[in-house]
Amino acid sequence: MGAFDSLFQWAFLVPLFPLLGLVIVGFFGDRMKKAEFGGWVAVAFSGMAMVLGVLIAVGEALTPGRYTDVSYAWLTLPGTQSVFSNGFSLVMGTLVDPISALMLIVVNVVGFLVMLYSIEYMHHDKGLPRYYAELSLFLVAMNGLILSDNLLEFFLFWELVGVCSYFLIGFYYEKPSAASAAKEAFLVTRVGDVLFLLGIFIYFATYATSGGGAGWAASGFKFTTGSTPFLGSLVGSASSPTLTIAGLMMLAGAAGKSAQFPLDVWLPDAMEGPTTVSALIHAATMVAAGVYLLAVVSLFLGFTADDRLAIVAVGGFTTIWAASMAVVNTDIKRVVAYSTISQLGYMVLAVGAGFAMVGLYHLFTHAFFKALLFLAAGAVIHAVGTQDLLKMGGLGKSMRITSIAFLIGALSLSGFPGFAGFWSKDDVLASVYSQVGAHPLYWPFLLCALATVFLTAYYIFRAWFLAFSGDHPRDPTLPHGHDAPWAMRLPLLVLSVLAAVAGLFAFLPSFSSLLPGANVPPVYGSTDLVLTAVSAGLGLGGIGVAYVMWGNGRVFQLPSGSPLQGARTVLLRRYYMKDAYDWIGLHGVYRLARAADFVDQFVIDGSIRGIERAFSSLSNGMRRLQTGVVSDYAAYVVTGLVGVLLFFLFVAPWIFRTMGGG
Amino acid sequence: MDPVSWTWFLPEAFLLGAALLVFLLDVLGVEKLEAFGAVAVGATALSLLAVVADLGFTPLSFLSTLPPSVVDSGGGATSLYAFSSLGLVFQGVFLSSALLVSLASLSRPSHEKGAAVFYGLLLMATLGMMLVAVSADLIFLLLAIEVTGIATYLMVGYTRKDARGLEAAMKFYIIGALSTALSFFGASLLFGAFGSTNLLVLSQGLGGISNHSLALVGYAFLIVGLGFKVTLVPFHAWAVDVYDGAPTDVSAFLAGGTKKMGVFAFFLVFIGPLSILTVRAVNCTGTVCIAPYDFRPTVELTLGLLAIVTMTLGNVLALLQKEMKRMLAYSSISQAGYMMIGIAIGTAPALAGATLQILAHVFMKAGAFLVVAGVSALGVGPLIAQYRGLGQRRPYLGVAFALMLLSLAGIPLTVGFVSKFILFSAAVQASTVAGQSFFFWLAVAGLLNSALSVFYYARVLKVMYMESPDASVPLDGPAGDPTGGLGYGRSAAILLAVVAIVALGVYPQPVFSAIQAAATHFVASGA
Repeated sequence: MGAFDSLFQWAFLVPLFPLLGLVIVGFFGDRMKKAEFGGWVAVAFSGMAMVLGVLIAVGEALTPGRYTDVSYAWLTLPGTQSVFSNGFSLVMGTLVDPISALMLIVVNVVGFLVMLYSIEYMHHDKGLPRYYAELSLFLVAMNGLILSDNLLEFFLFWELVGVCSYFLIGFYYEKPSAASAAKEAFLVTRVGDVLFLLGIFIYFATYATSGGGAGWAASGFKFTTGSTPFLGSLVGSASSPTLTIAGLMMLAGAAGKSAQFPLDVWLPDAMEGPTTVSALIHAATMVAAGVYLLAVVSLFLGFTADDRLAIVAVGGFTTIWAASMAVVNTDIKRVVAYSTISQLGYMVLAVGAGFAMVGLYHLFTHAFFKALLFLAAGAVIHAVGTQDLLKMGGLGKSMRITSIAFLIGALSLSGFPGFAGFWSKDDVLASVYSQVGAHPLYWPFLLCALATVFLTAYYIFRAWFLAFSGDHPRDPTLPHGHDAPWAMRLPLLVLSVLAAVAGLFAFLPSFSSLLPGANVPPVYGSTDLVLTAVSAGLGLGGIGVAYVMWGNGRVFQLPSGSPLQGARTVLLRRYYMKDAYDWIGLHGVYRLARAADFVDQFVIDGSIRGIERAFSSLSNGMRRLQTGVVSDYAAYVVTGLVGVLLFFLFVAPWIFRTMGGG
Repeated sequence: MDPVSWTWFLPEAFLLGAALLVFLLDVLGVEKLEAFGAVAVGATALSLLAVVADLGFTPLSFLSTLPPSVVDSGGGATSLYAFSSLGLVFQGVFLSSALLVSLASLSRPSHEKGAAVFYGLLLMATLGMMLVAVSADLIFLLLAIEVTGIATYLMVGYTRKDARGLEAAMKFYIIGALSTALSFFGASLLFGAFGSTNLLVLSQGLGGISNHSLALVGYAFLIVGLGFKVTLVPFHAWAVDVYDGAPTDVSAFLAGGTKKMGVFAFFLVFIGPLSILTVRAVNCTGTVCIAPYDFRPTVELTLGLLAIVTMTLGNVLALLQKEMKRMLAYSSISQAGYMMIGIAIGTAPALAGATLQILAHVFMKAGAFLVVAGVSALGVGPLIAQYRGLGQRRPYLGVAFALMLLSLAGIPLTVGFVSKFILFSAAVQASTVAGQSFFFWLAVAGLLNSALSVFYYARVLKVMYMESPDASVPLDGPAGDPTGGLGYGRSAAILLAVVAIVALGVYPQPVFSAIQAAATHFVASGA
């Protein structure tokens, strides 16, 4: 497959195309006569990135197990005997391997469709060049991240992704809620980022100093050499407490970006950004970065058994934690946002159980049906101007295409047999089930995940029934919605098809080579079939319950005296997690900050001012030595000579004597 | 070793020929500055290409004048010269600074008096520096330094009209003469101690040594004499008055070029293949036998302390300067301190870091002086405060100057960051060797000083960008001139410097690995 070899060498163009788009739109967008023109430029470049990305993925699928690493040393430094004995490199490079090829499809296809959709959706917005520049930067960062061939480069792009999300969530920065949501997202993910960086340091310190890993630092902390992990047999074999801690740090980083418990609070608030941004960042790509990180670590660096249990716990608990909050919410975007957190929990769960590929399989299908749900929700919001489900109703008649698109997304999300989400979710459950023997604590988290299947089907169909079924909107003042123009419809159409059939791709032999490893595509043994039947039944049950309570324009009212009212309040207040963080922030961090501020103002600033004054007066004093008189200068030279002589002959020997020979 | 061939010295011959041609043209009555400038630019560019070719840059190999077997093979016990790859790197550094300055000076007034003197002396000074880079003998080395010295004394005063320039030239000459005397006296003491001035002989202690103290005194004199060239504190005082009083293009050459010659002389004498610091074997002359004596710890400690004093004092004094050229002069002194860190440590990584720092300094400091010369030609005064609004009125020039200052301050994505990073990390690395924990404090001092220096560079940026322009200052240059009064030569030189700063900052590896290889050779063949 010589043709693909040269293609893989050009992988760096994938992030470069959107970068060109960014430069053109960012620098010249404001000068263009028509604002949309800049948008089309960005769309064109992301289209080129998509074509190249998909071509590379196809090439990778046709040449199974190929690892193509192209890298440039930024700086190579020698080491010492005790640290980095083979030297130390900082490297930038691209690694095309099966999983990055898979991610290239996800990021660039969804990215391109969202960009195309935005042309119409953001039509009236005055910040259009800024929007497209930021969206392009986001694609640069995401493509750079998935193509990184070493940990440091990965972290660089990881941070860039974080910055982009800050820009995009705060796109409507004049709105206080958007500005604070952007800050919240940045700060909460930052907690994870810092721990992630610490984890990187621990890996460096652990592996790069031991004998087998000495070459690792010299290589620039590469993930692989050829098709095997760079650290070879070190991966997964070690079980030291330090490595467990490093693994937990990676989990923390992933939990921040992928909004896992307890760092999940930012994602629902991030819905303050444009809905298209939510589709791109908070459904399909940015949150995928965390799961991708876990997959990369589990493949190339290795988790210990304790790490895996922690990952299973976080993922399993997050599924039901987020799903339960979605059950009562009446904001169409937030319902979808909670479902994202919950679905990410499935992916994390699978990686924790030791099936990184199964997690990525679910990531792949989820990207399409979640982007579809967001874009469909965006079309609804665009048409009726509200996000409140209780005001909607009967939109299925006027917005037929949108309604069907949302329905397909909902069916896929709830795991309706045959749809994309069905295969991958089923695969996750079966994979975890196959590992329940590993530790007794796997069971409860598997049960969480199973219960979530029911909740998921319930809340997403509740949303669908509330919005689209019935005869007319519950709020009569709502404008009459209609389907969107083609630039918005086309992405919905493409994503609908993908949301329906993407799960089947795994059964194509060549495609499944992008997900090498056990359990992809799903294998159906006898116990798995029982599990499948149970989860499919739970999903159908959820849909049924939703129909009974909300179908055909019904609105289910919880009796006011019901003991469940209390639970509903707790869920609506999001388990008081945000309040708890706010309380900690106000009473802990803020007080600490006040104390620090005091120290800063009086102790640090004071001493800095003191130092400044000291230096200034020193400077003033010494300036007088610059007399301009040449004989003075000669005197300095001679004084210096005498000083050096005295130092040589008397001071230095004395120093070496007292230090014991130096 | 191949038989000596005159073609080995072709790059030097270009410079000598060009200098003679310039003086000849002057005698023949040519008055146009551009003619002399073209000769100088052509000769320096050609020699630069030849030197780069000699360094093993294959696309240019047809220009190579040195057989590879000659490079890094060391000199003999009677050699006056020896070619080392680090020496070639330094020749590249010297030629780059000469090229930048001669290119920029093309934009001086076309019929300026003394243009021939300026260009002729520039070429002669460069020739001297080139010879320093290939010295293998103390006397040869000191004479080569003197060739450069005399040429530069004259360059400072070449306009002959400007009283400040003449005063500066006089000061430069007097202090320079003093330090030359000290250097030669040091060399004579070493001759007394070792019986030779050949660096190889000295380094191997072939002549035997009769008196450690005599040798130590010799080293002390040599350090002071060379320290004058490098502007080590307290031998620095001339530099501020000279950089300030000299024509600014000459200041660019002094700061960017001749100072580096002194650094390389330190490399040669104290670190390199011909280092004289260790008397290795027991040597018997007649009936007197002496034990090996290691001078290195003493010299390392002294140079390290001088480095700390130099960078701290340079930075502290730069803090309060109100004039741009004096601020740059003090910053140049502090930069010499950073370079001395590399000499004090003397390991291959430290040398590589110092060499990259020196290469960087050509572009950022000489570049900054060239910008200042251009700005003052527009009619802007000498004070920092008079640069108000430069960034707004002249966006391209402003960005260029800002990049040079940021690089001097060591901000990432400029070469100044990379070189300091390498230098300081080499210091930390060397400090892990037992008994050398002192080096760690060199890195700390360097870091603290870098932080301090940001203060005065940032102040210039603030003036340039945050304060509104002074309407009375003719910042825009004459109408209809696309270079805004800078001239094509100066614009090209500034552009070259900026490109180098950014290119070496964004992707240092290709150039750095060449430097690294050269430094490793240099140290390995010395130990």
